[in-house]
Amino acid sequence: MDLQYMISILPEFLRVIPITMLVVVVSAVFGFLLSVPVAGIRIRKVPVLNLITDLYISFTRSIPILLQLFLFFFGIPVLLQLLGFDVTNISAMTAAIVCLIIYNGAYMSEVIRPAYLAIEKGQHEAAESLGYTRFQKLTKIIIPQMTPIALPGLGNAIIHLIHDSSLVFAIGVVDIMGLATIISSGSFGMQQVEVFLTVAFIYWGISFASEQIIRYLERRKKRVLNRTGYEMKEEAEYNV
Amino acid sequence: MLNLRNLNLSFHGNKVLEDIDLEVKKGEVVTLIGPSGTGKTSLLRCINLLEKPDSGFISLGGLDYDFSSIDKKETLNLRRKTAMVFQQYNLFKNKTAIENVMDAQMVVQKKSKKEAYEKSMEELKRVGLEAKVDAYPNQLSGGQQQRVSIARALAVEPEVILFDEPTSALDPELVGEVLKSIEEVAKSGMTIILVTHEMSFAQDISDKVVFMDKGQVAESGRPEQIFKESDNARTQQFLNKFYAAAQ
Ligand SMILES: Nc1ncnc2c1ncn2[C@@H]1O[C@H](COP(=O)(O)OP(=O)(O)OP(=O)(O)O)[C@@H](O)[C@H]1O
Ligand SMILES: [Mg+2]
Repeated sequence: MDLQYMISILPEFLRVIPITMLVVVVSAVFGFLLSVPVAGIRIRKVPVLNLITDLYISFTRSIPILLQLFLFFFGIPVLLQLLGFDVTNISAMTAAIVCLIIYNGAYMSEVIRPAYLAIEKGQHEAAESLGYTRFQKLTKIIIPQMTPIALPGLGNAIIHLIHDSSLVFAIGVVDIMGLATIISSGSFGMQQVEVFLTVAFIYWGISFASEQIIRYLERRKKRVLNRTGYEMKEEAEYNV
Repeated sequence: MLNLRNLNLSFHGNKVLEDIDLEVKKGEVVTLIGPSGTGKTSLLRCINLLEKPDSGFISLGGLDYDFSSIDKKETLNLRRKTAMVFQQYNLFKNKTAIENVMDAQMVVQKKSKKEAYEKSMEELKRVGLEAKVDAYPNQLSGGQQQRVSIARALAVEPEVILFDEPTSALDPELVGEVLKSIEEVAKSGMTIILVTHEMSFAQDISDKVVFMDKGQVAESGRPEQIFKESDNARTQQFLNKFYAAAQ
């Protein structure tokens, strides 16, 4: 095995880490923003919309993420054309981000929903009986109690997202994995082990760092949960 | 001061409260008693609109509300004139004792932090908990939690405080301290509507006792009228059963 070679290609990989990061951060942030109304619709069982979100969640849950990526990459232009836009293709990056936002919107909504449902009815009623508006009740009482319950689940969502993001090369995004395929095919199939081992180390590093952050959040959560007396409810049923 | 007329409430078509009339004067303690499932809790919850009655009228603090057409603004308004002490205390779990008492003053009444703090200290002292201001609900006994919740209700200076079986979730040895706090509140001139199964307490503290049965007011009067002189068959049956069980 050629260690020297591995070190020599490392800088190239470090240069594309921001691309992976961009995919992860944008998908996480907008996925979260999407997950809030989705959870809201399911909690309040809004007619019709409730049915749509059920289908949406079952779709993202059942179909392999790789297949979802292809569906979005080839499907979005078709959809846009049907809507009358003159688009024949979209960038792989856009398709990847849209896909992961939609995936995380579903995933995270299934973290937020049980966290909301874990809050006792009495907490709502105490605030209501004192004349809190709905917004005041949510921001002052309910969300602060949901946060420690939901944080570990959201952390897991982000770890999964980091892993899933390694699949976006399949539709042509030159992220870490994308670069790896380019380099390994450029070297005529030589030193493939070195290339992918380097990639493995990079993912290991990223995951290790994010796990540390999540551990830290877990410790905080335990402290807050001890105080409020809530049990952790089970996590979203996603297997990735 | 508080006047309820023709209040009706049903859950999924089942009538739970039927044509309830209730008058409570300023500073009065009115106790609701009656068999389980009769609608005592539901009646209290209607008064601060945790349940929305099908129809009826309420006047409180000089304003009239029609339950059948009450809107969001009126709902908040009515809730802000009432405070509820729950059977299960329902303290905000993410807040310390004093934060529990301060929060509504700041969030709902827009008082300054300093003002809210001073008022809260005063009320927590009144229920004898000045030593526990920084404890979280989870670190307090049931009796202490209930006293914090009484302080929380007092701190918003409502027209009326609604107590729903404030001692029935407590271990017997903690009941006394909470009853003492309620008595204290009553003596201070606060208007109170109380649901309780503590009959001797009800007899001592009440200006008026209302006996409810099957979603209706069966009888009401001064405590000795209800407890000693009632000739209402349902009242007698309820009290006899109650005293027999207590022996
Ligand atoms: N949310 C609800 N949905 C449906 N039915 C309800 C609901 N809340 C109460 N009820 C019914 O309304 C009736 C009155 O209940 P309520 O709790 O007001 O009685 P209560 O007099 O307070 O009884 P207890 O002494 O046991 O506390 C009961 O038959 C109860 O089953
Ligand atoms: Mg009750």
